[in-house]
Amino acid sequence: MDWLTTTRKAFALLFTGDADLWTIIFVSLKVSLLAMLFATPLAIGIGYLLATASFRGRKLLIHLNQGLLASPTVVIGLLLYLLLSRQGVFGSLHLLFTRRAMILGQIIIALPVLVAFTLSAVQGADPRVQETSLSLGAGQLRTAVTTLTEVRFGVMAAVFSAFGRVVSEIGCSLMVGGNIAGFTRNIPTAIALETSKGEFAEGIALGFMLLAVALIVNFSLAFLQGEGGLK
Amino acid sequence: MNAPLFVIEKIRKQFGARVVLDVGGLALHAGQSYALTGDNGAGKTTLLRVIAGLESAQLARALYRGLAVNLCAYPEWLRRDVIYVHQHPYLFRTSVKDNIGYGLKARGAPYRERELLVQEAVRWARVEHLIDSPAHKLSAGEKQRVALARARVLKPRLFLLDEPTANLDAESRQQVVTLIRDLCDSDGVAVIACHDQEIIQLPGIYRLHLQAGQIDHRGGQLPARDPSDRSPLGASAASTPAESLKWQAVAND
Repeated sequence: MDWLTTTRKAFALLFTGDADLWTIIFVSLKVSLLAMLFATPLAIGIGYLLATASFRGRKLLIHLNQGLLASPTVVIGLLLYLLLSRQGVFGSLHLLFTRRAMILGQIIIALPVLVAFTLSAVQGADPRVQETSLSLGAGQLRTAVTTLTEVRFGVMAAVFSAFGRVVSEIGCSLMVGGNIAGFTRNIPTAIALETSKGEFAEGIALGFMLLAVALIVNFSLAFLQGEGGLK
Repeated sequence: MNAPLFVIEKIRKQFGARVVLDVGGLALHAGQSYALTGDNGAGKTTLLRVIAGLESAQLARALYRGLAVNLCAYPEWLRRDVIYVHQHPYLFRTSVKDNIGYGLKARGAPYRERELLVQEAVRWARVEHLIDSPAHKLSAGEKQRVALARARVLKPRLFLLDEPTANLDAESRQQVVTLIRDLCDSDGVAVIACHDQEIIQLPGIYRLHLQAGQIDHRGGQLPARDPSDRSPLGASAASTPAESLKWQAVAND
């Protein structure tokens, strides 16, 4: 197959507003952004606590989290599949092959990344940040917010990485989403499908979109973080 | 003699086998300021940090205005009375104004009041021109002055200043000394860890000398205080065990 013709076809698809294509992009964005929306506050809280609190089992939790960083997304998909399928513990919720299941899967995938990065950002913070904040009479919550604000660059790095991981993962989405056209088909599952059918143009168009989505989201987050970001 | 604001008995701190601090007792009196001297590694910073509740240590007991307090589980209300300023103060990556207003905000001061107090504080520290500058871009001397203003605006009863004039050039140092002189003249108690002769010789400042983790018993007594002095404690507290402690302050001569 001539790659030039294919690429031209891919752009034609994008700019002629192919409805199926845009639905796929919409599903990808919606699922990943919602997953990040739920996972981020939770993970930042956990990461901050792991970095600052001292309690029994803290080290074990940190090691466990580091281990989960490398967990294959298909394995998470498999576990979630077992839990959500008819015979599974949560079978009665009828979540399997829905977007909600995909969001759930992506939350689980994003959590360890967010926790690990937040943890290291907070641990890397100047110890005077917390001391100054406490000494000036701030409570635990205000101290936490101040510390996280001071290390916002590290926290944003957590968000970038986690978003990158969830928006591009295919294993879990395929297993618990089921790649249903117009419903749970997102960019990665669609690329895999189109390529296996020999529809390279569709695959390339979607690949470009995935790249564009990743770049646009990263740029807008970087813009939001404003000063105190890149030097 | 009036009753002390803060009394700490038998403070001991060790890292492994190394004892960094072993002080029999310490009494800080309201309206009095102290210069805490001693060689590097004598335990000055550690002592200040223990009093500020930023570091734990073994201690027999601590009394704040006659009330027993646990410095290792520092009570929130005590944080509002005691402020520690680092040798190299950390200014949050916000404006000078927000830095100075930080503690006021934490205390729930309304916006209007905060504005007024911050304005007054920047005038006091002579940093009016920097009020909207990003705090992390200031020079070392400016940072120190902002940090002092940030502490003073909260009107704490006890200032703990760790080497406020170290590593400053002559002009910045002079400006900081002027501010410290003013702090010492105010109602609060200031304990200033320093090597700075000018601070040690400020009028009315008492010298506490730490040596190898111990407060040097070079004798000397605090002079009897003016009875008209506004002591935060009534006569009832005069019988605190602190009175039986030997004064370890060395009057500056």
